[in-house]
Amino acid sequence: MSNRLWTEEAVRLHEMFVAGKVSCEEIVQDHLEHLAAVDPGIGAFLHVAADQALAQAKEADRWSTEERQMRPLSGVPIAVKDNIVTQRMPTTAASRMLEKFYAPYNATVVEKLYAAGGILMGKTNLDEFAMGSSTEHSAFHPTRNPWQRDRVPGGSSGGSAAAVAAGMVPIALGSDTGGSIRQPAAYCGIVGMKPTYGRVSRYGLIAFASSLDQIGPMARTVRDAALLYHVIEGPDARDATSLPLTASPPTRSGPWRIGVPREYFQEGIDPRVGDVIDRYLRRLSDAGHEIRDLSLPHTRYAVATYYLIAPAEASSNLARYDGVRYGFRCDARDLVSLYERTRDEGFGPEVKRRILLGTHALSSGYYDAYYLTAQKVRTLIRQDFDAAFNAVDFVVAPTTPDVAFRFGERDDDPLKMYLGDIYTVTANLAGLPAISLPAGWVDGLPVGVQWMARPLFDNALLDAAQAAEALMPPFQFPQEVRE
Amino acid sequence: MGLTDHEIQHVARLARLRLTADELPVIRRDLNRVLEYVSQLQTLDLANVEPTMHVVKSETPLRHDQVEPSLPVLEATRNAAQVEEGMFKVPRIMDSEGGGAGE
Repeated sequence: MSNRLWTEEAVRLHEMFVAGKVSCEEIVQDHLEHLAAVDPGIGAFLHVAADQALAQAKEADRWSTEERQMRPLSGVPIAVKDNIVTQRMPTTAASRMLEKFYAPYNATVVEKLYAAGGILMGKTNLDEFAMGSSTEHSAFHPTRNPWQRDRVPGGSSGGSAAAVAAGMVPIALGSDTGGSIRQPAAYCGIVGMKPTYGRVSRYGLIAFASSLDQIGPMARTVRDAALLYHVIEGPDARDATSLPLTASPPTRSGPWRIGVPREYFQEGIDPRVGDVIDRYLRRLSDAGHEIRDLSLPHTRYAVATYYLIAPAEASSNLARYDGVRYGFRCDARDLVSLYERTRDEGFGPEVKRRILLGTHALSSGYYDAYYLTAQKVRTLIRQDFDAAFNAVDFVVAPTTPDVAFRFGERDDDPLKMYLGDIYTVTANLAGLPAISLPAGWVDGLPVGVQWMARPLFDNALLDAAQAAEALMPPFQFPQEVRE
Repeated sequence: MGLTDHEIQHVARLARLRLTADELPVIRRDLNRVLEYVSQLQTLDLANVEPTMHVVKSETPLRHDQVEPSLPVLEATRNAAQVEEGMFKVPRIMDSEGGGAGE
């Protein structure tokens, strides 16, 4: 039996499986063994579907070479963030509210994974309802950063990021409302992409902020991320915001004009992170790309804008958790008490905080001052990017102002936590595609660099990221998971 | 001009959340910190700026007006705490003091 299959890329596993060099059962078994060995110290998974994965693998092993070839994810183990609904596994959104919830249907992306022959290994941890940047706000347990266990993996897709970084799966799905794919990808030293808003169906993604949410791939290499992206993209009649199929804009091969927004290097950035990004930009310049200084002047308003729009939409979306039709219920003698007690006991503190903030921002007398104002500033932020992309092909900047922080470090002040999202929320507000790539290290902790492109240029973004990977190869595995 | 406890309790009622006396000071501090931070948006001149409601403009897609099978009742009610005769069961709504719309 081939050993250490868990170290392989998804693309390689698929190739080996198609060529008959290894069985799908061997692949899945090896990943399950590795997962069982390392996840107790990391806590990436909320649910491991070992039996289902092995059953799926045995079925795949009966496929002919052509059948394996036809399915781009055959032979590939995948993890799914636990705010994406699955019929045959629980979906909790890391909340007490949905602790025993089994969805009556699969998310569109899950159907696509199955159709592509992917093996679903289980569901990964997150901040409750994807609200957080550390995975500390999971109702069940925190996830640890595989590089340094006293650090957070980032969030909210921290479980998916840690699972990929530690080799439990080669690829995973995350969701990104304000950076929830890119920030944990940066903190865990992997690749994470938020596609253009509308490129991937949100049907079956538990709604947080509907005008910002997007599902995307997480992987250790760009080509693995691209493999997963191409399986999940595309229009869906069940999601009215999914975009019709349009011819992908032509990819211009380099050299590129790369814009570096000076606002992303100002207040709040850890200078050591700034140095890593500077060195990365120098490599791009040495490789013949043109580096241009540019300004995105409304960046400083992005966090304020985001923290009005996202909680407002969340407060509306989370109104459905009332203890009546599904989820946790706390019984009471009258209906209003039932609602209130259910929500009081079912939601954690960060979720409540955002519901209150959002309810206030939408409430009578405050709507214009808060929600509508934020939607207008959102226009200004979008226009900043429109102007930038008239002059450059890509915008490149740090993904986060810092590296992975220690548990509890930002507990006392939610605003401090929110300010860490400064470089990622802009892509959600503007709807554009963005990808975080490993860029370097600060004291043994990964630093991520973010590439952004104009809306619908997802393929061009992936091509550029792939080319840039030659300048900064994917990271190896953390020592502790290498056995 | 931060929110008072009274105003926060009003918002909590709107959101169907119940805040205990010990939760309130922390929530008040956190909410007011965030509201103070977001108030910087008021310094911008937005008189001639259209709000962004959709980032990528496209026509609202319509489906054919045809009856299609949907989720069977048994499936739809499977996750509910209490079901009777294919319906979600809740406590009595009429004659209950808390059953009104609040204030």
